[in-house]
Amino acid sequence: MKFFKTPRILTLILFLVIHLPLLQAQGNRDFMRETGKIYVVIGVILIIFIGIVLNLIRLDRKLTKLEHQLNEEKNEQSH
Amino acid sequence: MNFFSQFFTLLKKEFIIEFRQRYAISGIVLYVFSMVFVVYVASISIKGQAQVWNILFWLIVLFAGINAVVKSFVQESGARQLYYYQLVDPSTLVLAKVTYNTLLLLVLNLLAYGTFSLVAGNPVKDLGLFALVILLGSIGFAIAFTFISSIAAKANNSATLVAILSFPVILPILLTLLRLSSIALRVIQDTAFQKDIINLLAIDGILIALTFVLFPYIWRD
Amino acid sequence: MWWKTTSVLILIYVIIAGIGVPLKPGIDRVAPLSSKAGQSIELQVFGYNSTFSETASEKIRVWLEFDSLHAIQSGKVDVKNDTTLLASFQIPARLPQNKQSVLLNVIVDHPTNGVSLLPAALEVLADTAVNTDAGNWNEHPISQLHVIKDFSYPYRNVIYETIRNTYFHVPMWFALMFMFIASVYYSIQYLRNPVAENDRRAVAFTETGLLFGFLGLVTGMLWAHYAWGKAWSNDIKQLMTAVALLVYLAYFILRASFDEPEKGARLAAVYNIFAFSSLVPLLYIIPRMFASLHPGATGNPAFGSEDLDNTMRLVFYPSIIGFTMLGVWMAQIRYRSLRLRDRLADID
Repeated sequence: MKFFKTPRILTLILFLVIHLPLLQAQGNRDFMRETGKIYVVIGVILIIFIGIVLNLIRLDRKLTKLEHQLNEEKNEQSH
Repeated sequence: MNFFSQFFTLLKKEFIIEFRQRYAISGIVLYVFSMVFVVYVASISIKGQAQVWNILFWLIVLFAGINAVVKSFVQESGARQLYYYQLVDPSTLVLAKVTYNTLLLLVLNLLAYGTFSLVAGNPVKDLGLFALVILLGSIGFAIAFTFISSIAAKANNSATLVAILSFPVILPILLTLLRLSSIALRVIQDTAFQKDIINLLAIDGILIALTFVLFPYIWRD
Repeated sequence: MWWKTTSVLILIYVIIAGIGVPLKPGIDRVAPLSSKAGQSIELQVFGYNSTFSETASEKIRVWLEFDSLHAIQSGKVDVKNDTTLLASFQIPARLPQNKQSVLLNVIVDHPTNGVSLLPAALEVLADTAVNTDAGNWNEHPISQLHVIKDFSYPYRNVIYETIRNTYFHVPMWFALMFMFIASVYYSIQYLRNPVAENDRRAVAFTETGLLFGFLGLVTGMLWAHYAWGKAWSNDIKQLMTAVALLVYLAYFILRASFDEPEKGARLAAVYNIFAFSSLVPLLYIIPRMFASLHPGATGNPAFGSEDLDNTMRLVFYPSIIGFTMLGVWMAQIRYRSLRLRDRLADID
């Protein structure tokens, strides 16, 4: 499960943090304030998605730690 | 021993302990006095507003209450608690503690009301309602703080834990009390405050029932 | 395994239907915003999602409405394009009930778009210079409206498309409540039968409930920023939710402050039951006592039936079920990792 290591997530978050203001700066008004405000809905769905994914990453790390522990114990027993 | 004789013996014991360690109760009384004074001095610039008086009064009551009740479990050593455990029924014990703390808080709150209205003026218009609010508040605070401090006494860092655990639990009571007492101060007009009193009684009822049922599980060691 | 797949399928349906189904046509705004009594005005009506040019302009009717007894119908309606139309009105000289100013609702009835309303759209001021009795407020009563029943969500001014957040923000609270109920259930079970199994389940459900609470708070803040103008407006429900989250954070602090895990588990279970009971007044009694910006504010802590139409129900209820099942799934994984941790610790 090397894919979920921090650096990539950090890069993604940094990318979003840097690019969101740029996206907003393109129009005079906040793009979420456009008539219809559909981007607010997209934002809400994204927040829920990111929240659930972050929870999964947390669980993944805990399980990785337990797996390491298990492997170490097995190695000790076999020696 | 039946329930009542046990209950009254335990209640008497609380009073005896309190008067034997007179420095503890004098400490709490002094705490109320100094808190009233500090609050008064700090809020001189906003004097005269009934709603501010109301909020400050209930904050004094809250902090004095939490300090007065916390010691009820912390002050007793583990050995003495084990001794009680063998002798009495835990539900009776907690009921005696709650009753004692209610009386203690009632006295402290009246004291706080007296001193605070002496220095900061007395904006209370409906004294009967205000007295009822103080009584209901004392009951609610006493139940919640007694229960939480009995949990926290089992942990290592009790003082912090009591604040963390009890403030969220106390909030519904505090908000209802503030609303009722601002009616007693005629800050807001509401003729249907009986509903709030019933809410408060319901919350107190739920808390005392839970304390009665759950305390044996805390006590067991 | 089947219910895990079902929860994902339900959520996919919720996302597709929640985003894909269109809004009913509505009126976005009108121009001008104010006028005087006795004048004839040309009102520009801007539609949202509307197809005004679909039918002949004679079939479109526009009213200015004060209440059910006072309304005037426009003379000529001129359709510019799908989202713009011009309606000319002769406003009567006397205002209803002899008021100095009135706020009128604009109602547009379109054979295929159906009827749409913009409340308090046009302000009309009394004009003292005019003292004729010209014009009448109830010559053309509002009648024969076209109510279109199709698969679409209601149009609400100000919130527009964000009405779809009902399927994503609100189910967070339902899922949170189900998670906390499950957690309290296992805490009670733990007190009756103190095996680590029950405690682990209670912990896993509390953690998942906190996740939903946090997501509900953050999504609510985003929605509030664009619907109410401020992310945090000290709305009583926002405050109570923040306090509810504090209660459960305190639960984890309490657990962590004991040296013996068995003692911590027992006292945490007791606190969980106590805190959950205080959550009931926090979430259901206190919000009734204070004004709130949330829908169903006065008296009804849940959703009023007027906030949820039949089309929305078809997505809203599955969404609650889907998110709750997803929550149970996440709690189960957490519970299994806790069990694994405990088993490893026993071997040591």
